[in-house]
Amino acid sequence: MNDRLKIGGEGFGSRLFLGTGKFSDTQTMIEAVKASGTELVTVALRRFNRDQAEDDLYGPLSELPTVRLMPNTSGAMNAKEAVRAAMLGRELSKSPIVKLEIHPNPHHLLPDPIETYEAAIELVKQDFIVLPYIPADPVLAKRLEDIGCAAVMPLGAAIGTGKGLAMAEMIKIIVRDANIPVVVDAGLRSPSEAARALEMGCDAVLVNSAIAAAENPAAMAAAFKTGTEAGRAACNAGLMPTSELAMASSPLTSFLSSND
Amino acid sequence: MKLTVNGESHEHQDGGSADALLDELGANKEHTALMVNGEVIPAKEWETTTLKENDEIEMLVFVGGG
Repeated sequence: MNDRLKIGGEGFGSRLFLGTGKFSDTQTMIEAVKASGTELVTVALRRFNRDQAEDDLYGPLSELPTVRLMPNTSGAMNAKEAVRAAMLGRELSKSPIVKLEIHPNPHHLLPDPIETYEAAIELVKQDFIVLPYIPADPVLAKRLEDIGCAAVMPLGAAIGTGKGLAMAEMIKIIVRDANIPVVVDAGLRSPSEAARALEMGCDAVLVNSAIAAAENPAAMAAAFKTGTEAGRAACNAGLMPTSELAMASSPLTSFLSSND
Repeated sequence: MKLTVNGESHEHQDGGSADALLDELGANKEHTALMVNGEVIPAKEWETTTLKENDEIEMLVFVGGG
């Protein structure tokens, strides 16, 4: 069965996307990316510094032929800055795919829905494949779909908190209404949460801190791969309906109590 | 002439190109994106982009990010 994920005409064999931040070093990150089986990783832009050339990830990541780069717009405080960051990212990645993120408040890093919407309109106009990081707001998700975003990426919980699918009920509504892929981005801590997101009908998850901050990032990446695959397989298999009352799975025959 | 490169003052030859500046600063050109006074300059235009006094240059590379 062909179960490839399609986003904006691009196909992906893995439904696990990885962030490349917060790893202790580049080699650890590369090992985690390989173990995850991901085909899409996010990268950020930073000022060039000759003294920190080892932080430049372009070289190490371009040695992984099955992995595509999705530049993010982190650091952007408003739509104008995000569009500029996206254009710079495209120059390097040579690809129109972009993670649009605008979160001006450092305390909670929650996305600014208004600036995100404005930036998305402009980026779609410029032929970007736009994946916006958004609050788990079904109305906003639909509006972003309507203007041509290729996917929406609601947060499970605030970035880096590891609080999992705190927004599960809202994400379910987004999934139910969406005609574009839904990717849970941010907040996940454990592979079971990735599995649950996929079981709920989400199309993919984007994970960074949970892997980068694990004791063994490559092993955790492999665990997330398994969790994501299990969740997707379960979703495709069709979960049984729930019931308020018990429903026996063994025959309730009375032979044990007969003839006392 | 005086330029501002990544927020710091930098002396560059008068009439120098963006391409020459990247060479001078030891940037890996395939790994670098460039912005002059807020405008993104595609790599194919670096050689023909002449820098002017007080230009503000941003040179960006990919680093880890989520």
